[in-house]
Amino acid sequence: MIQSLLIANRGEIAVRIIRTCREMGIRTVVAHSQADSDSLAVRMADQAVCIGPPPARDSYLNVRNLVTGAVLSRCDAIHPGVGFLAENAGFAREVIEAGLIFVGPDPEVTQLLGDKIQAKQSAQKMGIPVIPGSTGSVADAVQAAKAAEEIGFPVIVKAAAGGGGKGMRIVRSSSELADVLRIASQEAEKAFSDGTLYLEKYFENPRHVEIQIVADRLGNAVHLGERDCTVQENHQKLVEESPSPAVSAELRATMSADAVRLLGGLGYTGAGTVEFLVKNGRHWFMEVNARVQVEHPVSEMVTGVDIIRQQILAASGEPLEVRQEEVRLGGYAVECRINARSAGRVTRFIAPGGFGVRVDTYLHDGAVVSPYYDHLVAKLIVSGNTRLEGLTRMGRALSEFVIDGITTNLAQQARIVAHPVFRRGIYGTGFMADMLKEGPA
Amino acid sequence: MDLKQLYALMERFERTSLSELTFKKDGEEVTLKKGAAPLVHVPTAGIAAVHAQAAVAAAQPPAGLPGRGSDIEVIRAPIVGTFYRSPAPDAAPFVEKGDRVKKGQTLCILEAMKLMNEFQAEYDLEIIAILADNGTMVEFGSPLFEVRRT
Repeated sequence: MIQSLLIANRGEIAVRIIRTCREMGIRTVVAHSQADSDSLAVRMADQAVCIGPPPARDSYLNVRNLVTGAVLSRCDAIHPGVGFLAENAGFAREVIEAGLIFVGPDPEVTQLLGDKIQAKQSAQKMGIPVIPGSTGSVADAVQAAKAAEEIGFPVIVKAAAGGGGKGMRIVRSSSELADVLRIASQEAEKAFSDGTLYLEKYFENPRHVEIQIVADRLGNAVHLGERDCTVQENHQKLVEESPSPAVSAELRATMSADAVRLLGGLGYTGAGTVEFLVKNGRHWFMEVNARVQVEHPVSEMVTGVDIIRQQILAASGEPLEVRQEEVRLGGYAVECRINARSAGRVTRFIAPGGFGVRVDTYLHDGAVVSPYYDHLVAKLIVSGNTRLEGLTRMGRALSEFVIDGITTNLAQQARIVAHPVFRRGIYGTGFMADMLKEGPA
Repeated sequence: MDLKQLYALMERFERTSLSELTFKKDGEEVTLKKGAAPLVHVPTAGIAAVHAQAAVAAAQPPAGLPGRGSDIEVIRAPIVGTFYRSPAPDAAPFVEKGDRVKKGQTLCILEAMKLMNEFQAEYDLEIIAILADNGTMVEFGSPLFEVRRT
């Protein structure tokens, strides 16, 4: 079993990991930049190691300082959290080479899944429906035009090494294709040092639904139901819920079985998510997120399973604590991501509470929101017996939430949760754009 | 007390519910503490290697900020590593307090991921104080030397 864990991350996810470690009796060492030397995670951890100056590339992405810090502070494992180096196979290799446990899948698996073309081909081989598209990458405009003709417009151009919308473009007619390919390839080259592109059929206004998986090294892969992450702005998720209002029991069973087969078949370890597009009651494989996700608490709330705990057990070579037949998907849960819209010092912080309410955050009175990092400052998660009960509770909890000193998206989240279209549950990824077109609240 | 005994004591201590333990024997004194700011105090420099933390973890001013006097500068660790004052355990230290050092002369070694990184003086200087203990872990930004430009 892991005895001492270095957390190579910051903010709310570092706090989240420390909490589970405390319950498991694991000593925690948090790696932090100079901007975070007074953070909640630093206060909560048993030990803290400064690994660099504020910019992430010199601190949270500094492999040498992270690995050295772990070794010298006598850790036997590193948890990468989310973002930063969480899906970096090279980092995982360095960690393992230093004799430490990497809390995540094996680097070979991460590498395969990080290549979106290879991931898609693996899914296809296992009989999982994939979005119609080019077979592999497109080498030039002629090949792309041929592929687009076969798929039918509109198509979406994606980067093989992609993520975060970079290198991604929607093309509606053949005349635009050649120009778009050039731009997308350059963008991908800049972002990922790999300009390889592929084409897919573009679905208008689909739903984004993902299956949470936990897997151990003994061959057990268990799903914890789905999360619907359709409410997005610029490819950034804002609200996540489980169960999805668009997924029938039959579709849930099929998607879950597909996700378990894929990650089980690849020898995946730890927490992972298989993302699907859903439209008209059908599903298509999109990609795998080879890490724990920001929205994992939603699944924890409906299953009662601590996902970080399963991750740590799996990394230690222990079996998962739950078997598939023991997983109960009970009731409803929803998460609102609270994002900062300005940096600064929090002058007053009052978290909502009461029945069925959970807040994961690094904020407190006097906490500093740094301009150097991601704008996520808190996650508000509530549960309820039904969707209606859960959303009513979320509205109530949002109205209690006070974060003074910085500006946040609290008001926008309240507007989403109260919106009649969102309440009805029938919408696609275009929901946010449509809502914002209605004008200010 | 040798290192092996100290490690054994630390491991045993970790498994107890005690929050503090002081151990005295033959003029040596070891204090172990658990909690938010654990610290190990060992009078012998070499042994402190196993635990160097909170003491140097405090928020640090940016590198190069004046120290005591306005002409005194602090050289800080540019990487996380183990601080060595000499090229080998039995060799003489690169520099001593009071030494005048030429630009380019090696001040110390920081070992990280099995690489010995030599750090050189960036300008001519005099060593006013050596702030890190030989063989201890230093964080990014930990103070290593107090110096005065010459």
